[in-house]
Amino acid sequence: MEGVLNNLKNTAELLAVAQTDVVKQWDKQTLDRAFQWTLYCQHLHSRFYSNKAIRTIMERQLQATNESLRATFPGYADIAFVDLSRCQHVLLTKLLKNPALPKAIVGILCGSLSPMEMNDNEQQDATGHCNQLIACKSACRVLRAMHRKTTAFPSGDAEVQGMMLMERLDAAFGGGGGGGEEEARELLESMLHTCEEEDNVIEVIASALTRNNTTTAEIASHGFLLKWLQQNEQMLLKLCLHVPVEYIMRQVGENMQFRAVYCDVLRRWASDMTFDIHEGEWVPTGTMAGGSFEKLTCHFRALFETCPLQREDMETELKARKTSDGDFDVKGLSVWGDLLAVLTT
Amino acid sequence: MSLPGPDPLVVVPLVDAQEVQFWMEMAVGGVAASPETQRDTCRHLGRLRDLLQVLLTHMNNTSSTTEAMHRLPFLGQLLGRLCWTPHVTADAVCRRLLLESMWSLYSEEPSSPVEMKANHWIRSVLCQLSTEDEDPVTQILVQHATVPPKHYHLNVLRKLVSLLSEKMGRSCSSLSKPSQRCSCDTLLAVSETYIPLVTCPEAAPLIGAMLERTATCVRATLSQDFLDAVSAAYLRNGLCLEDEAVVSLWCHSLPSLEEAVMSQLDSLLSGSRPTLRITEQQLAGCLLPRACARHAPLFLIVNDIFRFLLQRVEGHQPLRSVVHSFTRCFLREVARLQPQERAPMKAFFPNTPRQLLQPLLVPPTEMPPEAWADHLTWIVQSLQRLTEEEEESDEDTGTRGQRVVFEAWLLLVQCAHWVEVAVQLLVSPGPGDREAGGVRELWSRSRTLLADPSPLATSEPLRSLAELLVSLGAKPRPLAPGLALGILVNAAVLSGEPIARATEVVCTVVRRCGLVTEEALCVLSSSADLLGLQGAEGRLSSGDPDRGQRLRTRALQEALTHADMMDTC
Repeated sequence: MEGVLNNLKNTAELLAVAQTDVVKQWDKQTLDRAFQWTLYCQHLHSRFYSNKAIRTIMERQLQATNESLRATFPGYADIAFVDLSRCQHVLLTKLLKNPALPKAIVGILCGSLSPMEMNDNEQQDATGHCNQLIACKSACRVLRAMHRKTTAFPSGDAEVQGMMLMERLDAAFGGGGGGGEEEARELLESMLHTCEEEDNVIEVIASALTRNNTTTAEIASHGFLLKWLQQNEQMLLKLCLHVPVEYIMRQVGENMQFRAVYCDVLRRWASDMTFDIHEGEWVPTGTMAGGSFEKLTCHFRALFETCPLQREDMETELKARKTSDGDFDVKGLSVWGDLLAVLTT
Repeated sequence: MSLPGPDPLVVVPLVDAQEVQFWMEMAVGGVAASPETQRDTCRHLGRLRDLLQVLLTHMNNTSSTTEAMHRLPFLGQLLGRLCWTPHVTADAVCRRLLLESMWSLYSEEPSSPVEMKANHWIRSVLCQLSTEDEDPVTQILVQHATVPPKHYHLNVLRKLVSLLSEKMGRSCSSLSKPSQRCSCDTLLAVSETYIPLVTCPEAAPLIGAMLERTATCVRATLSQDFLDAVSAAYLRNGLCLEDEAVVSLWCHSLPSLEEAVMSQLDSLLSGSRPTLRITEQQLAGCLLPRACARHAPLFLIVNDIFRFLLQRVEGHQPLRSVVHSFTRCFLREVARLQPQERAPMKAFFPNTPRQLLQPLLVPPTEMPPEAWADHLTWIVQSLQRLTEEEEESDEDTGTRGQRVVFEAWLLLVQCAHWVEVAVQLLVSPGPGDREAGGVRELWSRSRTLLADPSPLATSEPLRSLAELLVSLGAKPRPLAPGLALGILVNAAVLSGEPIARATEVVCTVVRRCGLVTEEALCVLSSSADLLGLQGAEGRLSSGDPDRGQRLRTRALQEALTHADMMDTC
């Protein structure tokens, strides 16, 4: 362990040095070794991410190193354990922001590789690092534009992100340590916290839900994600608003618990509507902005189609709510009555 | 973002000002450019490569970045715009040239504010292009999932490729609803947008799916620029395509098919002399015969190439052997097809005389050896009739007649197995009223020479055989050298003389009479083939009645190869 901590400290120091004039002395060998060390740290991250004990020791080591480096190098940015997963990226960024970067190093980073070398993902040295990243991202941009033209949901990125999320959850539940729930919750909360304003979080979660699950860990991940969604009503509301109905129905059809929560969301959605006398229609208020009356009826219809048994219960419920609203057959007095009218015609 | 400098559009006459202006306007929109501009960009990538190469040469010829900026004042703006145009940076060559240009402009020791600013600009463009476009969700996932950014982008790319390829196959409705619009209608425009992706190995499945689409939907058309780019990438830059996609490429791109045939011929004919069996093994592993069996138009083109080459180098035995082997592989592939998939043979040989086609196409192994003689007689009579008709025809139809004879000859080259059988039968002992007096004489003199114990330097039979060969070659209807050689070689194989003696005789005659060792080896390789001698581990069991012949064939092959190598040395 001591060796690992030492290496961690050395790599953090290397990253600090990469933003100084010292890089003027770097040659190809130095650069390659720097890329190898950062790759090593990426491996450390993947190996010990779920190991609470070792991770804490490593975090403590990084803290100590950060403190001493902050004192030595002005403008030094701390390295956290989670940054280790993108260690090569951090190194590359630091080098490219350094005015002292020698021409030879720029040449190596931009260098071309043969297609064979390009296919080697675990390529360790720095040759063509920028070239490969630019190649990959440019191709993604060309394809993304084409994909978006024909498919609204989900985007290719959201599918990959959904897979990544599920794989992380699988790793958390597959560890056997029993700490899976805590780790999974931590990840989802931090994602929600950082990206609250991002609509694509919803897309990521929706794609994550559509995965086929077979192993115990996969089933546990899927179950946890649904449970977590049920506890985050806001998230669930957004899901109904932004994700195509057929994606939601897949979950509604398969999972009783989810169905119950989904019905609650629909009730909440309906009860938040007010009748706009000028426009002559029901309009959403509060958190359901954007969720029109038509959209709501779409969801009800889809629900009835997916679960015919639910139809009877729901219609009885709507009738009861209409009655309690005075049982008038006039549009605009009871949202339940108007829903019932639309759904039974 | 652009480099500082004088008025960017004052172009010095070093480069084509119009070209620079064209690309300035083309690259102005970056990722937000209109679909038409994107397609234009992709269609003209070749032009852009040329321009960038010219610019790079100029940059490399200047002593400093300041000088380069002075001579090419538009440089910063042009490079900046092109860097943010994904359809440009997705093309491997343009990307390499752009990055080399940036590298060329980067100063080791910046000596002026312009050079310092240029260095800063280059570093920040590289940094932004390679690291800075991750949304917060990606960042969080990269930090928590153990997928480094480079892998993440690769995963996204693969996912997009697989989603788009799947959709390509799914969305075609031309078969189920022919009257409606089909998504394949847009394939032409899509294929133009994808031109730069042919240099991206990860995009190969999508390129393949597009090529295969054209084979299944009549509405699917690919742009010629796209096909040219795919063809070049497939032949030269290692673009990996599934067999079906390659066949589809050949069907739509003639240059690509031609290059495939020529490179196959090159690999078969260059280097060491291949035996018939090795040639066939190589061809059997190759896609061409299989593709030709399924698509008659492909076979016709390949055949045209063979026809042209055979006319140019008429007596080239190795080329004839390749044509023969190719035809055998092709026929085998046709036989493997389901009857409903098989096109009639007439579609593959439209100009060949009908009466010859079937008799020559049938392999000798599918007929009892007792029937060979009659079958050959029938073929010979048909050939004779054809040549007589050609000689009798008047001037108007003369050309047509010649063509018919040529087609018959070509078919004979393609089906050379029957020529080999004929040579074997001519020299086999047994009853038979073989007409060719010259051939019989050659046979008997070869036998005499082989049996003559005197040293070859002073051998009388050798002199007499050589004389005969010269006279046979000079007759008004000369005996083909290949046939003469075939008789000599077969005599050596069938004679009872010691192997060493037989070998010495064959080598001496070949050398003295100016015959080609290579052709002798081709003859041996064919007779080895008829004897069923398979490679080095051929069946040489002692109970085998042909064992002696097999041993001698192999010994002769080895000796001749050795002698030929000594000659070449």
